[in-house]
Amino acid sequence: MSVSTWPWAQIIATGFSLGSFYALVALGFSLIFGITRAFNLAHGELIVLAGYLAFALWKFYQVPFLLTLPVSLLALALVALPLYLLLRRLKEPYALNTLVVTFGLALLLQNLMLVMFSADYRLIRPDFPVFAIPGANFFISASQIILVVLSLLATGVVHVVLHYSFLGKALRATIQDAEAAQIAGINVNRMALIGFAMGGMLIGLAGPLYGENMYLYPTAGTGATLIAIILTIFAGVGRIRTLLLGGWLLGLVESGTVLVIGSKWRELVAAAVLLTLLVFRPKGIAARNQE
Amino acid sequence: MLGKLHPSSVWALAAALALIIWPLFFPQASLYFQVLGMACLYGTLALAWNLYALSGAISLGHAAFFGLGAYGSALLSHYFHWSPLVTIGLGALASVVFGFLWCLVFRRLRGVYLGLASLAAVEIPKVIIDNWDSLTYGSMGLMGLEGLPSLALGKWEVALGSNLEAQYYLLLALVMAAALATRQIMASRWGWALRALRENETAARAIGIRTHRVQAKALLGSSYVTGICGGLYVHILGLVEPALVFSLHVSALPLIFSLFGGRTIFFGPVLGALILYPLEQLVFQPLFPMGHAGIYGVIIILTILFFPQGISVWKRAK
Repeated sequence: MSVSTWPWAQIIATGFSLGSFYALVALGFSLIFGITRAFNLAHGELIVLAGYLAFALWKFYQVPFLLTLPVSLLALALVALPLYLLLRRLKEPYALNTLVVTFGLALLLQNLMLVMFSADYRLIRPDFPVFAIPGANFFISASQIILVVLSLLATGVVHVVLHYSFLGKALRATIQDAEAAQIAGINVNRMALIGFAMGGMLIGLAGPLYGENMYLYPTAGTGATLIAIILTIFAGVGRIRTLLLGGWLLGLVESGTVLVIGSKWRELVAAAVLLTLLVFRPKGIAARNQE
Repeated sequence: MLGKLHPSSVWALAAALALIIWPLFFPQASLYFQVLGMACLYGTLALAWNLYALSGAISLGHAAFFGLGAYGSALLSHYFHWSPLVTIGLGALASVVFGFLWCLVFRRLRGVYLGLASLAAVEIPKVIIDNWDSLTYGSMGLMGLEGLPSLALGKWEVALGSNLEAQYYLLLALVMAAALATRQIMASRWGWALRALRENETAARAIGIRTHRVQAKALLGSSYVTGICGGLYVHILGLVEPALVFSLHVSALPLIFSLFGGRTIFFGPVLGALILYPLEQLVFQPLFPMGHAGIYGVIIILTILFFPQGISVWKRAK
């Protein structure tokens, strides 16, 4: 990224678009975790897998980039189904077992992607125009606009579904207290299935956007998983507006770090933020349940 | 302590004898020396991981200790030209320092949260070493590290660096020492305190166990042994780079070997390493030259689903 004459405007623009995308990345993880209490450490790997799917469609079948989005959306919703069936079979201690199993799944997916797509860095590069603001050395690209619009749109849709529909009410009840929801007659297993399907679709949407804005390589998923965990711990589950706020904060901190210290330290920001959150709010997620 | 032998200990002893004796009959099997030697190294790593896991803490970040031990030893050897036998022991102290910080910072974390924190903790030494070019040569790493030295006792000489059979015996001795130490630890007061802590922390504290101190001791011991494994690994390989020693793979292997072998018996982690590592290297590597490590992912999923206690206790599992 070139340092423009308006560095702070550039930081804010980059941080805002990055942050909106981070919220989208975290949303699928947060929904699955909230509804089923399953930690999905393979979250980032699934996003990268969706990114590779879109890359293959775009590169080898000349599918326009925007058309790869619905394909990957459906494909990942289907991938989430076996994941749901797998995680449903785990026994107590459930959270720790899901952590270990999805850790293994992440390892498996990384190696599968290494075999299928090799270790090269890939980027989806559709011919989108770059707009320059007249009079200032400040650029906004169409891909950045698409990223922000789609991320906010998806986040908004999930928010509306959760807060203004009967299904959403049932989902939120399950997030708050699965046992009580069951007593009230909510089919918790079906809610879990719906949670995984929604989570899968969000992963499917995030994947191609990831491939268009950041480089795809088989081990890229760890970073995305970390971001999802950070924002979920920061916001607590089922709180989409806080999630968005957290995404923007993280995006701003990251883009600021890149501009001030250098892009090599970007990975450290996410890890440092996660450690700080865990140390000072160790039960950040659990504390929400008791309210 | 060695007086009365449990049947499982007899089996372990028989397996150990077989591992010692077989090279006498197949002195030319260099590939097998290499693979089984590495399996012993990973067995030691798994034992170290399991020492901390005895207290109920599932670490997803032991690559941090492994990598720090590796870099500590590699840099000492590169700048001061000391013998690797010295630098490995000293370099692993870097892992202990990190383990000490880990104890301080993660004191209040348990279970899943500790797992997540350990996953993120790996990034810190990794990114720092990756970017501190003037000291660590950054992401390019160091090539041509000094190999293990030759030991001479009178006219009797073994080249640990070049003779694969000698290397195999060194690593076998290491893993056997680690396994025996684990056996003694598990029978000691400290070992029981660790397991009491895993079962119920409040109850453990109520009967007078200093939970933080007991767990910190386990982590510090675990980090030192892990650091030694890291140092040995890079001196055997002859090169070190951040992506190699701080990878998810390094964190995953001891966990997979321990869970597969069984965490409740002292030789369980070693059993896992001795079965799975040769399986992966000798069977799956020729079949799938690129993604063969993915088999570990499948194995850990199947283990959790079907042998939650590990294979060494599968008969006892209800």
